Amino acid sequence: MNGLLYYLLIAAVYFCIYCIYCWGINLQFGVAGILNFTFITFVAVGAYFAGVTALGAPDGGLSGQYILGWHLPFPIPPVLGGIAAAILAVLVGIVGLRRLRSDYLAIVTVSVGQIAWFIAGNNVHLFNGWDGISQVPQPWNSVFHLSFTNYGWVFLVICIVLAIIGYIVSQALYRSPYGRVLRAIRDDEDVAAALGKNVFAYKMSAFIIGSVFAGIGGALTVEFVGAFNPSGWTTPETFIIWAAMLIGGQGNNKGMILGAFVVPVVFNEITRFLPNIPGHPQLIDSFRGMAIGLLLILAVRFRPSGLLPERKTLFSLVPTVKGSEGDDRHVLQG
Amino acid sequence: MSLLLSGIVFGLITASVLSIASVGLTMQFGVTNFVNFAYGELLTSGAYFALVFNQSLNMNIWVALVLAALIVAVESYLVNRVVIQPFIKRKARLLILLVVTIGLQLFLENAIQAIWGAGFQQYKTSPGSLLHLGPVLITVQQLVIIVVAACIMVATHMLLKFTKLGKAMRAMSDDPELARVSGIAVKRVTDITWLISGLLAGAAGVILAINTNSFTPALGANFLFVIFAAVISGGIGNPYGAIAGAVVIGVVMEVSASYIDSAYKTVVAFAILILVLLVRPQGIFRSRGRV
Repeated sequence: MNGLLYYLLIAAVYFCIYCIYCWGINLQFGVAGILNFTFITFVAVGAYFAGVTALGAPDGGLSGQYILGWHLPFPIPPVLGGIAAAILAVLVGIVGLRRLRSDYLAIVTVSVGQIAWFIAGNNVHLFNGWDGISQVPQPWNSVFHLSFTNYGWVFLVICIVLAIIGYIVSQALYRSPYGRVLRAIRDDEDVAAALGKNVFAYKMSAFIIGSVFAGIGGALTVEFVGAFNPSGWTTPETFIIWAAMLIGGQGNNKGMILGAFVVPVVFNEITRFLPNIPGHPQLIDSFRGMAIGLLLILAVRFRPSGLLPERKTLFSLVPTVKGSEGDDRHVLQG
Repeated sequence: MSLLLSGIVFGLITASVLSIASVGLTMQFGVTNFVNFAYGELLTSGAYFALVFNQSLNMNIWVALVLAALIVAVESYLVNRVVIQPFIKRKARLLILLVVTIGLQLFLENAIQAIWGAGFQQYKTSPGSLLHLGPVLITVQQLVIIVVAACIMVATHMLLKFTKLGKAMRAMSDDPELARVSGIAVKRVTDITWLISGLLAGAAGVILAINTNSFTPALGANFLFVIFAAVISGGIGNPYGAIAGAVVIGVVMEVSASYIDSAYKTVVAFAILILVLLVRPQGIFRSRGRV
């Protein structure tokens, strides 16, 4: 097959997966105001669990060691991956979301990310340690028997279908009364609580649903690539998704599509082609990390509502008040 | 028994590093009221600045420590002035400030990696001769670490209790609005707090690097949640609580390392953090929380 075409195919698959991530993190931060600084850990949990429930029992040889070792047909492994991510979200939420300042949840997520990465790498019995899992079978290819490249098109269709479902679900959640309460909590937790809304339950559910998006996206990644190990979910990966969300326009599901295109696809692909400097193997990686960090700061500094800002609905009898400059939540758009 | 005893002694060494770092973080939190997720990178910067003085300029490691800590103090001051203050001026929400510090963390860690590479580094220094502390053997260097930490803790206590600056810092930590209307120069106190916080972070980073023997650009980021564990156990924003938290976390980590795989001692610190957040989120040593 044409090399360029195949390259575009891979980029399109990743674009769909990043859209799913962005809708997940947008529900958490953009809609509900929850700081999850280790989104990628939920992706990883989904990927690992989808992997070990699709792989079949470890043969003791090249495949290494891992738990479960079930051999279930698609789409059960991604569903299990999503459930696994949801369970982790419940555990993290119980610790970090209870009547605490948002600093605490951020601290818990950062710590959980570090510990989970450390344990997944150092414990070979869980997911084969630093080597990770590999040879995850491609969904339904035992039926199609296609070559790796031709199979890519089938997989792209699966991803597009799931991305469309993801978008419809995200929009439905955003527009529903449930989403309205989440936005109220984001804008002023105390007011929402005073109106009798159970803030903890609402935040917890948004955290869980967002994590399910992460888990399913992770599951798709592992089923497409066939392998997954700790080098695939380092800290910067979380912030690529954060940058995509902030630049796309937090709170706006259409903005997420733009963000997923601008940051992970365009930015990542451009930096991929930078030449390696001899003698400094990690230099390009370092520059990428610096650029992502800078992107986060500059985005919230100069474009806090992103490229496609969230449309705030306004009750027409309320006089337009301009809030403190820079705090975009108070600048009401009619 | 001697296993427990050596665990406690090594725990005190870890607690020394941890207490310096924790006091720096908690002091800045007390005055500014947000967590600085880039704090770990101030430790890492300290370790690498000292590397330049120690390796390229052949300085004694303790002289290098002082110089590195001073540079990190300036770095911390600049972080506040250049990166944080523009957001404070625009009254950015807490969520946004946290996103900014985590972006800064990513930037600084990768900048350090770009300059010095991702590989392991080591100071030119020897641990010194061995001392017998009852059945426990420690090196002269480890003893110096404990003494340095003790001196820094005493100095912090003097600063907070007996100087006008210390009183202003405590007042701002208790009630920023009341402090402002009482005529405290809030801006200047904030500036100086970032300087002191950086000074402590720089010193802690160098001592951490000496203590772990070899280090990478991930030094501070990997240590950050151990600092969080100490700071939160002690009640966030409270320097004395942070010292107590550091001793508890340090000793429990090292004692557990005598009995289980020592690679998992950070997992123990994490477990304490989770336990404290579940049972007593305002901290073990704090009666009145600002959670």
